[in-house]
Amino acid sequence: MAESPAQTAFAEEALTHLDTLYRGALRLTRDPDQAQDLVQEAYLRALRYQHSYQQGTNMKAWLFAIMRNLFWDRFKGSRKDDVSLDDVGEFVLYEKLRDEGARPEADVLDKLAASEVVKAVETLPPLHREVVLLVDVEGFSYKDAAQALGVPIGTVMSRLHRARQQLQKSLYDYAVESGIVRGSDGHQVPQS
Amino acid sequence: MNCKECADKLDRFVDRELNSTEVLELQLHLESCPDCQEHYEFEAELKRLVRHSCDCDTPPAFREKMRQLLT
Repeated sequence: MAESPAQTAFAEEALTHLDTLYRGALRLTRDPDQAQDLVQEAYLRALRYQHSYQQGTNMKAWLFAIMRNLFWDRFKGSRKDDVSLDDVGEFVLYEKLRDEGARPEADVLDKLAASEVVKAVETLPPLHREVVLLVDVEGFSYKDAAQALGVPIGTVMSRLHRARQQLQKSLYDYAVESGIVRGSDGHQVPQS
Repeated sequence: MNCKECADKLDRFVDRELNSTEVLELQLHLESCPDCQEHYEFEAELKRLVRHSCDCDTPPAFREKMRQLLT
């Protein structure tokens, strides 16, 4: 599809961000087929609007912005107010585990299954999930995440803070349910 | 820097979002406070765990399809 040298360069650079787009799409849609459709549509839109991309700026953030906007348009009917995050208060997993006498990293973190971590991420509301995907999974700076999401940096920080608290609460609940630790109702005994 | 100030900045430290002065202050505190050092290592490990857990391979056939679409 690329024709001029500039278009070829654009296409080649865009392709280097495929893994980021696919990971993000998969975690947002939670469905491999929908993720592929979303990424393909994002690339088609990127090609159509490549004239609006400014050379030398962050193409990964630009492509992610296209992909997540399509996600909201296609899968959520543009309801960006889907922010129903449980109010878990100031939940800090490390402090919770320490208060209960566990060794947070050795007793708990090392025993959490990757599938449960993914599950905890995927159950976050999309507005909060996408911030975790950008900052924690893809390593975006707050500034680049703000650009990709079209929000101020302060919004990225507040969503990230709330998302991490919910994530840590979910992991704690899983650790209790699976017997990795005992809940705070009784005496906490780390399970060997 | 005290432990409360350290805890407040720990997320931004793990995310590499502090300025150089803040980084220095926080590192000095961590060197003198084993509890905060352990908390920092926990948060950093949790971030790594999330990243590694959410990693996945793009299916090869889809990668080839996108290569053909773009080039």
